Amino acid sequence: MFAEMAGYFQNNMDDFLRAIATHAAISALALFLAAAIGIPAGILCVRHRGVQRWVVPLFQALRILPSLAVLFLLIPVLGTGLLPALVALVLLAVPSILLNTVAGLLQTPEFMLETAAACGMTRGQIWRSVWLPMALPMILTGIKNAVTEIIASATLAAKIGAGGLGEIIFTGLGLYRFDLLLAGGLTVALLSLLAAGSVSLLGRLLMRYKYV
Amino acid sequence: MKITKKMTTLLLAAAMACSLTACGSGKDTIRVGSKDFTESLIVAEIYALALEDAGYDVERKLDIAGSVVHTAIVNDEIDLYPEYTGTGLLSVLKMDLITDPEEVYRVVKEEYEKQFSLTWLESSKANDGQGLVIRTQLADELGIYTISDLQAHADQIRFASQGEFDQRDDGIPGLEKVYGEFNFASSKVYDSGLKYQLLQNDEADVTPAYTTDGPLADTEQFTLLTDDKQMWPPYYLAPVVRDDVLAEHGDIADILNKVSAALDTETLTSLNAQVDVEKREYEEVAAEFWESIR
Repeated sequence: MFAEMAGYFQNNMDDFLRAIATHAAISALALFLAAAIGIPAGILCVRHRGVQRWVVPLFQALRILPSLAVLFLLIPVLGTGLLPALVALVLLAVPSILLNTVAGLLQTPEFMLETAAACGMTRGQIWRSVWLPMALPMILTGIKNAVTEIIASATLAAKIGAGGLGEIIFTGLGLYRFDLLLAGGLTVALLSLLAAGSVSLLGRLLMRYKYV
Repeated sequence: MKITKKMTTLLLAAAMACSLTACGSGKDTIRVGSKDFTESLIVAEIYALALEDAGYDVERKLDIAGSVVHTAIVNDEIDLYPEYTGTGLLSVLKMDLITDPEEVYRVVKEEYEKQFSLTWLESSKANDGQGLVIRTQLADELGIYTISDLQAHADQIRFASQGEFDQRDDGIPGLEKVYGEFNFASSKVYDSGLKYQLLQNDEADVTPAYTTDGPLADTEQFTLLTDDKQMWPPYYLAPVVRDDVLAEHGDIADILNKVSAALDTETLTSLNAQVDVEKREYEEVAAEFWESIR
């Protein structure tokens, strides 16, 4: 088995590295877009409760659709390749970021906001210095969930020609070759752990005050 | 070793004699088997209809997993089923690759008789082998009709693979050994269910396929490339029948040979298309075809 794996790496190192790079790039892009949609949408939801009433259920409903189904449903509209893969991954990741942002903001104790206002902070200052920092741990948890989901699901992108480590896994499935399955699967797992670890590290850096 | 083999044969013969004399019933019932995909279902159904027309009772034991259908016929659970010469050679007999169709048929016929007491009846002209499909529009534009043409124009081709095709010995590595290197302009992995859609939507130019895939019936859109250096083994379809059944009902050979004579690659592709593309029932398609050749 390990000899086979070594053989695979020897012959296909270029393909393997390219697959990792594609996988990481798709995942990073999807995470960025999901955060760019999820966090502002979460803030909007807290500011305007009317928005929350339809935005939250909408994304929760979209999340129920399996990513694989989304991929294939999008083909007639967006074709194949990177774009539909990104859309499916963003749809998958937005809910956990959005819901965690909303929860983080809502659980900030009312008295802290009142105290801040009493101290003469403007609305903007309250957001920047009280609300968002208080919600940050929850938002980061959301991002951490999102990134692991994205990296795991990005394997499906290989089904529609977007590349990534899924190519190696599906090839292994087709050929019944465990060396390929392991090479692809373990790398996805490793990538997931690495990404989740990085988000945790980012949290520690951003919230240094907690660890003095 | 020899003694045990003889003993088993004797026991088997005794058991068979018992079942024949004791049960008696089902003497004129032929059990027709098939594998678990459209083409095998259609052809087995045509066999069944042909036998019924000749007065036999037919028990349909269709939809058997491809990996166990051979065991089923050896174990006397079915009497006959449609098999591919290449599958017999490479998967069942596990022999070395031969690419000459007649030689393959001769070898499997001989070995099946020797090893399993099974008879390959006459082969049809329908070959369901590995192939490469190109968008017809591009084929006409660049003049690509054979795999050699494809190799020469590879740098203008977007290849849609299913991943395994790039690694399998009878995929790209095998092709490169016979035809030379393929420097495709791009090569991406897709789910195999998407291959015809990709070509239709102009998102890829060439994809691996099986030579009787239903969509290939639409030659305005898809062109099957000729394997001009014969790198792939032939997969011609023919009925495999138990010897004891043939010995008792000699006319089965004539009945099924008539069906095989009417089947060629184009006919089979169009039958597949009626089921897989037009979504008709395979029984209906088989019945219609049998009507047209009986």
